Amino acid sequence: MAKVLGYLQAHANVLKWIFFAFLLGTLVFDFMIERHHAHFWGDSLIGFWALFTLFGCLGMIVFCKGLSHVWLAQSEDFYDREDSDNVE
Amino acid sequence: MLSNTVLLHPASYFIIGALLLPLFGRVKIAQKVILLAVPLLAFWQIHYLPESFGVCHFMGFELTFGRVDKLTYVFLHVFTLMALIGAIYCLHVKETGHHIAAFLYVAGSLGTTLAGDYLTIFIFWELMAFASVFLIWYRKKKRSIEAGYRYLLVHTVGGLILLAGIFLRYQNCHDLSFTRIMAEGATTADYLIMIGFMLNAAVPPIHAWLPDAYPEATVAGAVFMCAFTTKTAVYVLARGFPGFESLAILGAIMTLYGVGYAVIENDARRILAYHIVSQVGYMVCGIGIGTAMAVNGACAHAYAHILYKALLFMGVGAVLEMTGKSKLNELGGLYKTMPVALFFTVIGGIAISGFPFTSGFISKSMIIAAAGVDHRIIIMLMLSLAAVGTFLSVGIKLPYFIWFGKDSGVEGREAPWNMNLAMAIAAFMCIFLGVYPEYLYKMLPFACDYHPYTAYHISETLQILGFTGLGFYLMVNYLHPEPKLNLDVDWFYRKGALVFMWCARKPVSIANDWVGEVYRTVGMRFTMLVAKALSWFDWEGIDWAVDGSAKGVVKGGDRMRTLQTGKIQQYIGGAVAALMIVLLVVVFL
Repeated sequence: MAKVLGYLQAHANVLKWIFFAFLLGTLVFDFMIERHHAHFWGDSLIGFWALFTLFGCLGMIVFCKGLSHVWLAQSEDFYDREDSDNVE
Repeated sequence: MLSNTVLLHPASYFIIGALLLPLFGRVKIAQKVILLAVPLLAFWQIHYLPESFGVCHFMGFELTFGRVDKLTYVFLHVFTLMALIGAIYCLHVKETGHHIAAFLYVAGSLGTTLAGDYLTIFIFWELMAFASVFLIWYRKKKRSIEAGYRYLLVHTVGGLILLAGIFLRYQNCHDLSFTRIMAEGATTADYLIMIGFMLNAAVPPIHAWLPDAYPEATVAGAVFMCAFTTKTAVYVLARGFPGFESLAILGAIMTLYGVGYAVIENDARRILAYHIVSQVGYMVCGIGIGTAMAVNGACAHAYAHILYKALLFMGVGAVLEMTGKSKLNELGGLYKTMPVALFFTVIGGIAISGFPFTSGFISKSMIIAAAGVDHRIIIMLMLSLAAVGTFLSVGIKLPYFIWFGKDSGVEGREAPWNMNLAMAIAAFMCIFLGVYPEYLYKMLPFACDYHPYTAYHISETLQILGFTGLGFYLMVNYLHPEPKLNLDVDWFYRKGALVFMWCARKPVSIANDWVGEVYRTVGMRFTMLVAKALSWFDWEGIDWAVDGSAKGVVKGGDRMRTLQTGKIQQYIGGAVAALMIVLLVVVFL
């Protein structure tokens, strides 16, 4: 199995194009399917979930990583070097 | 009667097993037989449980140890199956105490699931918290010991809130049977009970114990813990509180809160722990929506989630066991040496992301669809967005940075056979449920008319998965794991504890000295003065006083003096004890 994975990694370019073809395929597939009982307006738009996902995904990464960088991230011994700072 | 209950109750097998294990401390093969036989026996036996058993009277309360219906059954089924998988996974663990803790933990979970009244629930609830903390402590590192204490303290607080709710409820309606509570007539007591349950379900903002403790547990302990505590809480919420709007909203927030942290975290097991918060959010949300389809979805998702989350914990646990590392920034390129663990972890990853033909596809979508049918569009979109984050963080990021990414040079070996076997069983179940969903749907509490494999659903899922992949591809450099700690609400009690300790060291200590000084100068003289005055009054003043009362007062003064130790903590302790007695009198009279 490791050999197969190594082979695939060596041909990452091919994989990339297969992946893009797959993305296109999902959109084409969305054209062809039947849509009954939509829950809301988005369900009747072709490619809605593709756009929703792409923007949601990028937005989530930027928001979470950004929040981490400006506020949440601390050094790993943040809670261990307690006794000195913050309190005394 | 009693022996019947003991023989019928699946939890008693685990308790008996836990008692037997230390007797065979030197006969490892016998221990292994017990470890496998007990969960197997329980898994077989739950099919033959009567609807009600083990009803007994204790101090005027009616306790019900066994109440079985479809809702109970589906949880019992997955709990015993998971106990079996977990037992196989930890067969190689040498410490007998670890196995005992795991068995008692499972017993607590099964006992809670079967309990028909609040007192029985409380007993098993506390057994669960108490037993599981040892699964953290057995890691035997300083961080684990500390995390274990925090875990125990948080769960003690949760248990006390639950107990307060139970007391209040008993005072209100003199009935402790555990049945559905209607959202319209819910009282403070019911909400206290709900908060107690919600703490174990890790609903923000009382969730921080979970990502704090689970990554510090032992490799095998984390596999057990990810399955039982939160899902037992999901069961009691599904039993008692379906249709509570607050649960629907908090559940939807939970799903995004969990994935948000999973996107930025660095430790593989902490990513998975935050993901429990997210996934349990789907269940809590389904329970909050409260329709038959939504509660069905919550149960189905609990079943599927236990298996794939355990599989993921087993996969990264195997890496931790073999390499001693679980931080993404220290790992990478392991596909050459640990391909089997990669294979199983990826199956867990695609199952949790809801690929077609995996268990996540047939369970998660049920809750999202239930939200749609109920016209809760915002909640539905929140749940869908959380699905995007799930695939991003656990489906792609986690395997990519452990097994591919940069070559870290970390040497790995394949895990022992028992770990691989446990992963294989869980992986099989993930695929099996996806291919044959009827197996799970038949077990659900309500009649189920849901068909996951529609063309539209498949198209929607493929788009979500595919374009999440595109998002990762575009942002992979920005997503690089960083060796950082991310603050969460546990900051309040971890930093708060320091303030408390400072108070104990400085002001309280000063006040203590001061009170001691005051006592020495004032208290003693005052006591002596009163005693003297009274004795004079008795001896000199009044002929008709009862003989010996003066001596009594002197004695009383002496006793007062010994009582007044001048230590402030004893005064506070006395005051709390008095308060407890008053409270008990109020509750029980």
